Amino acid sequence: MDVKAEILGSYNAKVFKNRKDHILRINKAEAENPEIAANTRAIPGIMTNRGCCYAGCKGVVVGPLKDAVTITHGPIGCGFYSWGTRRNKARPDEDGRNFIQYCFSTDMQEPDIVFGGDKKLRAAIREAMEIFKPRSILICSTCPVGLIGDDIHSVAAEAEREYGITCVAFSCEGYKGVSQSGGHHIANNGLMKRIIGSNDLAPTGKYPVNLLGEYNIGGDGWEVERILRRIGYDVVSVFTGDGSVQAISRAHTATLNLVQCHRSINYVAEMMKTAYGTDWLKVNFIGLKSISGSLRNLAQYFGAEELMERTEEVIAGETAAIADDMAFFREKLQGKTAALFVGGSRSHHYQELLSEYGVSTVLAGYEFAHRDDYEGREIIPAIREDADSKNIEQAEIMKDEKRYRVFLSPQRYEELKNTIGLEDYKGMIRDMPDGTYVVDDLNHFETGVFADLLKPDIFFSGIKDKYVLQKGGTLSRQLHSYDYSGPYAGYKGAVVFGRDLVMGLQAPAWGMVSPPWKINAEKSAAEGQRDSHA
Amino acid sequence: MKSVLVNLNVNPCKMCMPLGSVSAFCGIAGCMNILHGSQGCSTYIRRHMSTHYNEPVDIASSSLTEEGTVFGGEKNLVKGLDNLIKLYEPLVIGVSTTCLAETIGEDIPAMIRRYYETRPDCKVKIVSVSSAGYAGTQYEGWFKALRALVSQTSVPCARHEGVNVITGPVSPADARGLKGMLYATGLDFTLLPDISENLDRGYGGVYDRLPSKGTPLARVERMGGARVTLELAAFCPEADSPGRWLEEECGVPLLRLNPPVGLRDTDAFVEALRGLGAEIPQSVEEERARCLDAMIDAHKYNAQGRAAVFGEPDMVYGLVRLCCENGIVPVTAACGGDCREIRSVLEEEIRPVADNAFVERCSVLEAADFAAIEREASANGVNLLLGSSDGRRMSERLNIPLVRCAFPVHDHVGGQRIRLWGYSGATELLERCANSLISAVDGVYRRELQERTQTAISEEASVPRGNLRDQAGELCGGWSTITPLAEADAQGALLALRAQDSSRGSAALAAGRKIRVNRGNTATHPCFSHQAGAHFARIHLPVAPACNVSCNYCRRDFDCPNESRPGVATRVITPQEALDRFLRMKKQMPNISVAGIAGPGDALANFAQSAETLRLLRAADPDVTFCLSTNGLLLPQYADELLELGVGHITITINAVDPAVGSCIYKHVDFLGRRMEGESGAAVLMASQLSGLKYLADRGVVCKVNIVLIKGVNDGHIEEVVQRVKELGAFVTNIMQVIPVAGSVFADMPMVSNREISALRKRCERHMPQMRHCRQCRADAVGLLNDDRSAMFGGQRPQANRRKLERTMRIAVASRSGVVVDQHFGHAERFYIYESDGDLSRLVETRSVGVSASCGMCGKRADETPDPGRIGKAISAVSDCQGVLAMRIGDSPSRRLAERGISVFATYENIDKAVREAAISLCAG
Repeated sequence: MDVKAEILGSYNAKVFKNRKDHILRINKAEAENPEIAANTRAIPGIMTNRGCCYAGCKGVVVGPLKDAVTITHGPIGCGFYSWGTRRNKARPDEDGRNFIQYCFSTDMQEPDIVFGGDKKLRAAIREAMEIFKPRSILICSTCPVGLIGDDIHSVAAEAEREYGITCVAFSCEGYKGVSQSGGHHIANNGLMKRIIGSNDLAPTGKYPVNLLGEYNIGGDGWEVERILRRIGYDVVSVFTGDGSVQAISRAHTATLNLVQCHRSINYVAEMMKTAYGTDWLKVNFIGLKSISGSLRNLAQYFGAEELMERTEEVIAGETAAIADDMAFFREKLQGKTAALFVGGSRSHHYQELLSEYGVSTVLAGYEFAHRDDYEGREIIPAIREDADSKNIEQAEIMKDEKRYRVFLSPQRYEELKNTIGLEDYKGMIRDMPDGTYVVDDLNHFETGVFADLLKPDIFFSGIKDKYVLQKGGTLSRQLHSYDYSGPYAGYKGAVVFGRDLVMGLQAPAWGMVSPPWKINAEKSAAEGQRDSHA
Repeated sequence: MKSVLVNLNVNPCKMCMPLGSVSAFCGIAGCMNILHGSQGCSTYIRRHMSTHYNEPVDIASSSLTEEGTVFGGEKNLVKGLDNLIKLYEPLVIGVSTTCLAETIGEDIPAMIRRYYETRPDCKVKIVSVSSAGYAGTQYEGWFKALRALVSQTSVPCARHEGVNVITGPVSPADARGLKGMLYATGLDFTLLPDISENLDRGYGGVYDRLPSKGTPLARVERMGGARVTLELAAFCPEADSPGRWLEEECGVPLLRLNPPVGLRDTDAFVEALRGLGAEIPQSVEEERARCLDAMIDAHKYNAQGRAAVFGEPDMVYGLVRLCCENGIVPVTAACGGDCREIRSVLEEEIRPVADNAFVERCSVLEAADFAAIEREASANGVNLLLGSSDGRRMSERLNIPLVRCAFPVHDHVGGQRIRLWGYSGATELLERCANSLISAVDGVYRRELQERTQTAISEEASVPRGNLRDQAGELCGGWSTITPLAEADAQGALLALRAQDSSRGSAALAAGRKIRVNRGNTATHPCFSHQAGAHFARIHLPVAPACNVSCNYCRRDFDCPNESRPGVATRVITPQEALDRFLRMKKQMPNISVAGIAGPGDALANFAQSAETLRLLRAADPDVTFCLSTNGLLLPQYADELLELGVGHITITINAVDPAVGSCIYKHVDFLGRRMEGESGAAVLMASQLSGLKYLADRGVVCKVNIVLIKGVNDGHIEEVVQRVKELGAFVTNIMQVIPVAGSVFADMPMVSNREISALRKRCERHMPQMRHCRQCRADAVGLLNDDRSAMFGGQRPQANRRKLERTMRIAVASRSGVVVDQHFGHAERFYIYESDGDLSRLVETRSVGVSASCGMCGKRADETPDPGRIGKAISAVSDCQGVLAMRIGDSPSRRLAERGISVFATYENIDKAVREAAISLCAG
């Protein structure tokens, strides 16, 4: 059965033409690494799961920075909707404060739209300074701001002068780009240009690293940090889960960037390479094999004997500690199938962990990925820039002569490129077996068809299609917010993940979906038929 | 009105217009929503509605991009409509605009007109709503959508008997309740909108992508011919009112009513229905009666309620009125949106109730954010929050319960089934309020009690407040096991723990007290001074029966005296009796220098009795030294009182300073009404012990710390205990061996040898002085340490019915005094040989063992052990007896006697009684 054909058949010609390139059925004999269309505009009227530029910038990247007052400049909705929406956990700062519990908005009204809102923004900053006295203020704009032409950047510059704080404005109006991906890019540019590199306080540890693309959903970041610290790494900063402007300002002092979510933060990794010579390594802390592999690669990068020994020790200890639990859950989950539709990297990362539980992935898709997330970085030169991506500013990054450092010799760098995949990402498609589907920007309609036809036991997605799926009888777990659970990363997270799946699949309610009178009616009908035949 | 000076909204209490608009369209049959603007708007709104309703909420977007902002978004909207129609086959499409579309000035009606023109076959009703996010809140958005729908759908039509019922924002469950009631009246009604099914669907195993339930378009079309419109909304702006449009354009009279929240407004609604000729079913009257009954039942709790109500105007108004009906004073009422006319009506409503309850400070806020609401709620002494789950942060910070009764509820399930409307909705809500108040009181009183009792210590320590639980780990290292505790208890433990580190300021306080109070004299205290032991006597007054810690080594059968050890007393006496006993004893033994309370339970667990006793004693004898023995659990609570009472000496039993070790020693700890086990219990106990020790020691109280050495449990830990209590100011530590007590958890615990205990004391002596002359006294001991005379004054209990035995038993008694069984078997120089028939006992002879004893048990010289030959002689001395009575007896002699068929009774009792009981027991055995 070809679900792709089934779906495309329901579309009109225009949509057919558009969507056919976003849906792949893997057939290795045909193509080892087939091309997929990605990062193009969502089709109006077909319910995409994508968010907007503002969501990517404020909601994903800068929102979790706990020591900054992040003001949404715009009407109330956007600020409200991005208030505590993602489950970025954060411990209070040294001074006991944690701004991510707050929502700050300029709450623009009709007159502000007509006469301009920068005056209100300026006043809002003054009030924020008076009430909260933050060290930094971030400003994120919403749709109307770009249209009415509020110059939020000059307001930010003024605030810096007046209050002696860090104040960065992000022009992340919702209409920019084709998804939240544009917002990630804009946020990354802002962090790079204004925050990273502004504090030269040296790391205290011997092996300083940054963790990029870890948003500490449900405490993931804490589990990853725990493991890294056990081995002996100094985590200088995390982008941006439980993160702070203060920590990020020192990011350039780290030796290596660990890139977890390739999509939302790869820009920072690349720009830091240019400016500071910081190497980066793609890592994955979801699933035992991936964690262990990532840890070994990391030890290889630094090449220190003590690290490698300690790494093996930690891997052995951690793995042994969860082996029984894993085995128990695997017993319950063996043979199940899953579909994954999440943001930029999780749909790939979780496949490993699922397979360790004996669950095979039948469908995987990204909400806002680019082609390299599917096909690997080698195709980047081949990606054609379209009008929408051109609208997202490209930050001009120059080498910072004072802070530029090279850790590896050129020979070692080349060697590591081959052995540990330094500064490379091979994409998701290569890891997908024959017969499985890869879908970009899966929408409401397609979700229903795939659920009906592929009948996965579990569909990992977000809140918007969670109930769509469950009403249709497919278990859904939110892989954005972890359904109020977590962590799922790291060794301990793997067990929590297994427990959650078993809990969902074995929910007694699923066994009661058909009322007895219906079953009995069918039975007696069938018996009646048999009788009449006799 | 919101101050014009406020430009920064901190934690908004409102959402945007499109959310209200799409919510209303969810109540129209076969309707799909599309937002014209950036796709983020529909994504965010879907997300928020889905989380609240736990239902699919499918909202399409025209996905405008930068290009659209320049060239207009018509192309996108057309594509969007095409696709929606092709994929979902809807009957109605609601097109709501967003900030973006309105800012660029999109003319949606014109676009829709062109759409129909180019697609003449299109049968779908496309309704456009102008709902810029900056022009209002979700409340206005809801009405705008309904007005747009009605005005773009209804045509003036033939009059009919139907009644239009239009609601403001409502929960699916309330809409369902309303619909049920309307059906029951037999009226021909059109409910607009009807979200009762689409936003609260049952599970059917099949997902219907097109929400098929709700108000049918055909019903909307004929609304223009109805005889009346009931609009259940108090603050709907005229310009947005669908009912007003129907009145103006179609001549349908509009009757604006408050939403039926609370008794009065539901009454008014029912009355209005009756006026329209509706039959009011009996069930409605019954519901009303039940609601009233519930109000009367709950008023005693609700009358204590001081509520903050926040959210949309209708909801706030309805809830304020409901509160007022129930005696809850809504001292803070706040609208997130800018609803000007609500102030006066709310004030009018609240004022009489507030006056009635002597509430002076109330506030009504418009255009309020949560920062303002929280400020006012806190200033007005609110104890109950009513509104959406966005109030949870405030609820956490102010520690006030939140009754989630409005959109959005994001942290609990069941948002779709919130009940507020009608008699049953009112009943449900007011009961939730009452129960929240009850739980809050139940949950908080412990903390309040704790705060009251700990203030003396914590204030001085200037303990920083905040999330103590989080700090527990870092502060205490190994103490992180506190976390399973309820927060209040952990907090208490921590407060106490932190107090250890404070000593500043206490010297002056102590000095001040010293002047007034007689603290007694350590030199004449037999327990605290070895020299005093030989000359000065003490009296333990057993006034304290109850205990709050269950130690595994302890069994307190105080009414069945069987031996001499702590925790044992023949009879518990009243404070007055204690005074009498003290005065009597003092006459006989003028050398009594110390009066102490050592149980038989815990002196502080019976604080009223203990305090009263000391007060009486002090009045009678200004010179006597007071001494108290305690497990320390309530020390932080009573430390100041003890100082006032003039307690100058105290003994605290601290067996461990590590909860992990403590958890093996204490079965459970009863603290402020809660039983805690394991490490939690131990942690709380230790925190109290250590902080209490520090506090009292700082104030000049001589503190002895008893440590019960339990082999295999805390033997390796004792040195640490000694060091720790030394740091905190202990005067002396007393390491004592555990006495295995039958019936206790440690009944089979091996005894520690004197050699071991001596070695340990020697080791600990490097840190601080060790007590070596402890007798591990009874709780009613009297006299010199070596000469307890308590049995002379005990035994006043009623005699048991005596029964003569068939046989006469011969029993050997080890006794020094000849009155009481008060000697160790191995130490006995002679035995009293008794015969008893269970009724009468007779002293037959006195047999000398002829060996001089040395007191091994009492630790005079630890390395002295009884002469091995002596035990043999003692055994042969009693070989013709059936039983042996001794205060204590070693394992080996006990075994050897058993081999000879001689039963052993270890007891501390009047000889006469002990012999009789032994005889009865022997006969029975």
